[in-house]
Amino acid sequence: MRVLLIEDDTVLGAAVRDQIKADGHSVDWVARLDDARDTLSAGVFDLILLDLMLPDGRGVPFLKNLRTSGAVTPVIILTALDQISDRIDGLNAGADDYIVKPFDLDELSARIGSVARRYSGNPNPIVTIGPLDIDLAARSIHRDGKAVALTAREWALFEAFVQRPGQLLSKAQLEERLYSFDDTVDSNAIEVHVSRLRKKLGRDIIETERGLGYRLGHP
Amino acid sequence: MNAPRSLQLRLALALGLAVTVLWLAAASFTAEKLRHEMDGLFDAALEDAAQRILPLAVHSTREHRRDEEFREDKRPERRGGPARAERIARLHKDDRFFTWVVRDRKGETVLRSANAEKEAFPPFTGEGFRQTATHRLYYDAAGRDGLTIAVAEPLSHRTSMAREMLLSLGLPLLIVIPLSLAAIFFAVRTSLRPVRRLRADLSQRGARNLAALSDQGLPSELEPIVQGMNQLLDRLRAAFEAERSFAANAAHELRTPVAGAIAQAQRLRAETKDASAAERAKEIETTLKRLNLLSEKLMQLARAEGARLRTDTPADMRPILKLIVDDFARIGAAPRLHLEMPDEPVLSDLERDAFGILCRNLIENALKHGRTGEAVDITLSPTGVLTVANACPPVADEDLARLTTRFARATDKKDGSGLGLAIVRTIAERGGGELAFASPIPGRDEGFEVRFTLPRSDAGSE
Repeated sequence: MRVLLIEDDTVLGAAVRDQIKADGHSVDWVARLDDARDTLSAGVFDLILLDLMLPDGRGVPFLKNLRTSGAVTPVIILTALDQISDRIDGLNAGADDYIVKPFDLDELSARIGSVARRYSGNPNPIVTIGPLDIDLAARSIHRDGKAVALTAREWALFEAFVQRPGQLLSKAQLEERLYSFDDTVDSNAIEVHVSRLRKKLGRDIIETERGLGYRLGHP
Repeated sequence: MNAPRSLQLRLALALGLAVTVLWLAAASFTAEKLRHEMDGLFDAALEDAAQRILPLAVHSTREHRRDEEFREDKRPERRGGPARAERIARLHKDDRFFTWVVRDRKGETVLRSANAEKEAFPPFTGEGFRQTATHRLYYDAAGRDGLTIAVAEPLSHRTSMAREMLLSLGLPLLIVIPLSLAAIFFAVRTSLRPVRRLRADLSQRGARNLAALSDQGLPSELEPIVQGMNQLLDRLRAAFEAERSFAANAAHELRTPVAGAIAQAQRLRAETKDASAAERAKEIETTLKRLNLLSEKLMQLARAEGARLRTDTPADMRPILKLIVDDFARIGAAPRLHLEMPDEPVLSDLERDAFGILCRNLIENALKHGRTGEAVDITLSPTGVLTVANACPPVADEDLARLTTRFARATDKKDGSGLGLAIVRTIAERGGGELAFASPIPGRDEGFEVRFTLPRSDAGSE
C-alpha cells in the first residue's frame, strides 16, 4: 500500500514511517498540510495517516475539505486529542479510524490493515485461494497446511493482489503502491518480487497479461 | 441583640421605629407647646377674674362701710340688703373653677367666694402669680383701700385639661402608628421585589450555570452589584475555559513526545537483533507508558475539576459508552467485556467527554482488579444507570470507603495510578450524578460493582 503520513513531530513521524515501511508499504511523510495537498495531487494513495494539530492548520477542516472534494481515500487520524468530542468530530469529518497518541506501532499496523480490508470490500482477514490459507491480519500464509514465510515487500505486493481479486494491476500501479517518491526503484523490482511469490506460493498464483500487467490467478 | 438578617425586616423596623419616635416626639412637642399656651390663657383668665372681682369687692366694701355708718343712723330700710359676698359670687357664676378671697390691710378676710377654703390662700406678699402644691393663684391689690384679692384655680383642673388634650392628640396615634408601620412594611416589601427576584434567580440556578444575570428593571443600587457579579461570572467562565484548554493543550503537548519516544522504543525493539538491547527497549517502553498513564490521569482529574460538566442540550450517552468499550475491545479485552444497552437513547446533559472519562476509568478499573479472564459486565439501563461489575474477592467496607481517595489502591498492584476512582468521584460530584459502590455484588457472594446514576436532563435543568 502507499501511505501518506501527515505528522509534524519528527521523532514520532520517523518511527511511524519505519513501521509502515517494515510492513512492506511505501510511505510519503510530510509535516504540513500544504505539503500534504501537493503530495496528494501528485500521486494516488491507498491510505492517509493524519495528525490533527499541524503547524499550518487543523486536521479536521483539512479532512472535511478532502471529503467534500470527493476523495475516497481511507483516513486514519493519529492525534493527541483524546476527548470523546474530538473523536466524534474527527469521525464525523470522514475519518475511518481514530488513534490516540501514544499508541502501539503494532496496533497501528493492525488498524491500517483493517481499514484497508474494509475498503477492499472484504473485512474478513481470512482468505482462501486454492491451496492457500491467508490470514491478512496475522500476515501468515499456509500452503497445504504448511507455513510460508514472505518478506515485507512480498507481503505488500501479494496483499495488493488479494485485495483486488481478478483486477489487472499495471507495473506502474504496483510500483506506486510499493515505493514512495523518495525510494529508488530498480526497473525490474516488480518482476523480481512476482517471480519470488510464484516460487513460494505456486506458479499460477499470479498471471501475467503481457505488456499490461498482472492479476491474481487461480492456482 | 443582633440586627435581623433580612434587609426587608431591618428596613421596616428601622423606618417604623424612626417614624414612631418622630410621631411621639412631634405629639409631645405639640402637647408641651399647647400646655404652655393654655397655661397662659388660664393665667390670663385668672388675672382677668381678679381684676373684675376686685373693683366689685372694693365697691361692696365701701357700701358695707356706708351701711355700717347708716346702721349707726338706724336706717332700718337699708338693713334688708343681700350679703355682699353672695352678691359678687352670683356675678361670677361662670368662674366655677375659681375661688377667691378679698382681705383687708390686716389680712382679715372681708369677702370670699362660696367654696373658698382658707388654707388654699397663702397670705398676700405682692401682686402677681403664685403657685402652691394644689393651686395656681393670682394676687392683686386695690390701692388706697388696702384690700387685696387672691384668686385661686386648682391645679387639678389644669392637669385634667392637659390630660384630655394629650389624649386627643395621642389617640389618633394609636391608629396612625400601626397603619404607618403596615404601610412601611408594604412599601419596603414592594421596593425590595427586584432583590427577591435576584435572590430567586441566583438560588434557582445550578452550579453549572454561569450565564449572566438579567439586569432588567433593577433599581440603580443593585445594578452595580449585578454588573459586578456578571463580570465575575464572565471571568469565571473564561477561567474555566482557560483551564479546560490548558488541560487539553497540556495533554497534547505531553502526548506527542511520549508517543514519539514509545514508538521509537518499539522500533528499536523490532529492529535490533541484540536480545539485551530489545529487553532495555521494552523497559523504556513500559516506563514511558506508565508515565503516560499517570499524566493522562492527572489531566483527566484536572479536566474533571476544572471544566463544565453539564451541557445545555442533553445527548444520547450510548454511543460514548460504545466507543469506550470498543477501545478496550481493540486492545484485546473484547472477550471479557459484556455490554448491555437499551435500544432507546439514554439522554443526559452530562458532558460527553466527562462521561467518556468516567466510563473509561470504571472499565479500566474493572478489568484491572477483576479476576483475570472473568467477565466485566457493563450495563446501561434505560433510566440512565450505568453499572460496571467485575468478579473479585469481596472488598472490605473500610477499603470501599477509601477507594475514591486519591492515590489509594485496593491492592498493591503496581500498574494502577490510584486516581481512576477519584476521577470518577469528582465527575459524579461536580456533574451531579450518584455514585455507589457495592461489594459483594448484590445477589452474589463476591465481586465488585460500581453504580453511577446519570444526571437527568429534566431534573438537572432547573
